[in-house]
Amino acid sequence: MSSKQAILQALSTTALSDNAMPVINIPARLDDLLSQFETSLNTVTATLHRDGGLTGLQAEIDKLSSEGKQIISLVDGVTGNREVPADPHELHDIDYAIIKGHVGVAENGCIWVNNESVGHRVTPFICENLLIVLAAEDVCANMHIAVQKVEIASGQFGTFISGPSKTADIEQSLVVGAHGACSLNVYLV
Amino acid sequence: MLTEECHMNPYLESFGIEVIDTDLGERIIQLAGQPPSHIVVPAIHLKKEEVGDLFHEKIGTEAGASDPTYLTRAARVHLREQFLSADAAMTGVNMAIADKGAVVVCTNEGNADMGANLPKLQLHSMGIDKVVPNIDAAGLLLRMLARNATGQLSTTYSSFYRGPKEDGEMHIIIVDNGRTKMMQDKILAESLKCIRCGGCLNTCPVYRRSGGHSYNYTIPGPIGIAVGAQRDDTNSLAWACTLCCSCSFVCPTKVPLAKIIAHHRRIKAENHQLPYGKEKYMPLVGKLMGNETLFNCSMSIARTSLKYLPNSLLKPFAGAWGKYRELPVAPNSSFETWYKKHRS
Repeated sequence: MSSKQAILQALSTTALSDNAMPVINIPARLDDLLSQFETSLNTVTATLHRDGGLTGLQAEIDKLSSEGKQIISLVDGVTGNREVPADPHELHDIDYAIIKGHVGVAENGCIWVNNESVGHRVTPFICENLLIVLAAEDVCANMHIAVQKVEIASGQFGTFISGPSKTADIEQSLVVGAHGACSLNVYLV
Repeated sequence: MLTEECHMNPYLESFGIEVIDTDLGERIIQLAGQPPSHIVVPAIHLKKEEVGDLFHEKIGTEAGASDPTYLTRAARVHLREQFLSADAAMTGVNMAIADKGAVVVCTNEGNADMGANLPKLQLHSMGIDKVVPNIDAAGLLLRMLARNATGQLSTTYSSFYRGPKEDGEMHIIIVDNGRTKMMQDKILAESLKCIRCGGCLNTCPVYRRSGGHSYNYTIPGPIGIAVGAQRDDTNSLAWACTLCCSCSFVCPTKVPLAKIIAHHRRIKAENHQLPYGKEKYMPLVGKLMGNETLFNCSMSIARTSLKYLPNSLLKPFAGAWGKYRELPVAPNSSFETWYKKHRS
């Protein structure tokens, strides 16, 4: 018998009874989602840019580019100074990556991105600084609503990003910038 | 945690495979050659100065440096090289979504995603207890995990993998290792609801005093007793608990930890696995305390002894308890006598 068969057989004789999936009916807080979202982003040390849109973002990118920063953009209408390489390892010196977010979550500052919007899957993690472009109408109240909005087709990858990477593994002191991006700026459009 | 439970790293190393832990805390204890002492903060037992000395020796940071930001950034640079040169990456799994065939991996550092998304081969290992029915369940648990682990609104990265990257390979390893056996027992089975937030460790008075290594099991604290007591050859782990029930109250998935721990004690007793003292004298103590006359007599003898006999004669009876403590001052009468005098 394969180990898989052994596990399945053992599972058929447990002391547990079957339970139906409970109905998740938790009222969402719907007042001023954008302000809630902004507060959550501040809590996770990210910054929300409400005004300026793509034009403001492009101006910021041009400034960074003139300073010699390496910038990759995966958002239509925003241009960086690097192309998507064939090998994801070549992204190791990217200073700024600009990607599209699909769903924002007001209660915790999470933003859903998937492999269609990031080029190589590693892009949002390997860059030094991450910039996400998000449509204001895509911000929802909480995770219960968010997981209904995200789509993960077979073979796909997607992730909820809530702020820059962080750790408190040394004496529980919070350090922003662990292995993923060291900063997160969100541009509303 | 699962690879530690299964001793995966030493096994891989026996084949000449170099294994590098990438979570900062895990990397610290790997470099120090120690087991984890907390399930969310593995190196919680080390001071920043100790981490500084360790990093100075192993990855060449400045001597005497102990600033957490400096040390974290040094580890970031050191581990980036490892991420970029690794041939395979292995992560744990926080939830596996049954109706999608997807796994969810949560980190704050981004190490799981840096690892899984660079090399061609990505591996995810999980216990069978990580399976949830659908994405609604995953959303619910994601809301609870970080709040109860560190007080955050959410983990920084909650990544859903439903297949490998282009030209890549993805394998999910599902481990039983005693879990189906636990499911044969209604009470023990409840411990498999755990999402490993670590809330029970943080509230446990025994854990907070004694630290993670004293449990002598990969997972310390109340949940460590709940899932590890059956493998405990010393038959003492289930007693590293005051049954104060604080863990049962804070648990977000309502694992009845205190009930499970008491159940483990019962199982040990029924299997005659109690240590000698507990097996032999506890039944006598039970009889003594259950009998009013016997109990009152012995208390009376104890009061008289404390009053008249010398300390040197009585102290040995106190055993380890008396090593750093004075014997109590005997009251003049029993509580019952005092109560009767004042109330009736």
